[in-house]
Amino acid sequence: MSILNTDKTLPANKLIFEVRRDAAKRERFRSDLEGLMRDYGLSEEERRALREADLRRLGELGMHPYFLPQVTRLFKGAGYNHNQSEAAQLYAAKMLKEKY
Amino acid sequence: MAEIVSVIALAHAPGATGWLDKAPKHEQDGLLAGYGRMGESLRAAQPDVIVGVANDHLLNFPMESVPDWCVGTAQRWRGPAEWFRDWVNVPPYEVAGNRGLARHIVRESGKRGFNLAFSDALEFDDNWSVPLKFLTPRYDVALVPIHMNCVVPPLPAPERCHAFGQTLAEVVRAWPEQLRVAIMATGGLSHDPGGDRYFDVDEKFDRWFLELLGTGDAGRVLREATIERMIAAGDGGTVELLAWLVAMGAAGRRAARTDFYVPSVALRCGMGGVNWNVA
Repeated sequence: MSILNTDKTLPANKLIFEVRRDAAKRERFRSDLEGLMRDYGLSEEERRALREADLRRLGELGMHPYFLPQVTRLFKGAGYNHNQSEAAQLYAAKMLKEKY
Repeated sequence: MAEIVSVIALAHAPGATGWLDKAPKHEQDGLLAGYGRMGESLRAAQPDVIVGVANDHLLNFPMESVPDWCVGTAQRWRGPAEWFRDWVNVPPYEVAGNRGLARHIVRESGKRGFNLAFSDALEFDDNWSVPLKFLTPRYDVALVPIHMNCVVPPLPAPERCHAFGQTLAEVVRAWPEQLRVAIMATGGLSHDPGGDRYFDVDEKFDRWFLELLGTGDAGRVLREATIERMIAAGDGGTVELLAWLVAMGAAGRRAARTDFYVPSVALRCGMGGVNWNVA
């Protein structure tokens, strides 16, 4: 996983970029993720990886690393994001070999 | 003519305002004391405006088009951006801009080989919300924010960042009105959002980098503090230190004094700040 491997043209990067900036799209992320992913043209593999918060695979596909913890916050909430928070723990579960 | 009265650089991290209570007491104390000292020193320099250089966390520029630098030209700024409010835990704030100076920076840098983007609509996350909360908590010093690309390769090389800092100082001093200007870079130190070292801090790198800035040998800093070395110390975050190299360029041939350093796993970031003592 490295910023050097980012695929700037990956549709999932555009989706995450815009969802963070737009409350209506965040609502759709919660209520109709499948439709949102189709509208942005995500590949089947991107859709599977995002649906399952498969952060490692999203990174391999070229999602920018900075978006990966943000994906956990979109699913689990952004507030009080300390190391034991649900979002941070989702990150640990998906990205690290050992439990944090 | 405008005068540069302070050049500083410091880390920002959402945990500093978002979940500081989760850090060990000595980290909390060290951070608050460090930011406190830097704020006192900044305010003592009595700047009319802060020209700030911070990395954009992929918030303002879609990947179709990421500028190396983008100058905020609005006369008024608001933060934090909506989705980031809970995360940074900073109440909504407003701070004045300085449209005239910002436009001057864009125009004059353009004549000196820097094609700067500009925008009236920059959104702020922790990049400004954290440093302003600690350094100018009354939001009574105007801000010209310059967002830079530190995380979407290709990145501006360290030499280019340093050269931009030199140019920035030159064009700020060429502003015809009386104005006291502080240059404030923010980003770093070691952290790795999105990588394997998310719950880690590279204290050895951070201390090495701070000592290197303390030598005042810009040539050596540019040779040794490479993008590769920053990436090795935390892929998605440590490269934000490129903003500090802009400040180093603006400071001229001076050594940076480290005001504080607190490696904090709880905040997932090496927290620290330096001052080039230009006054």
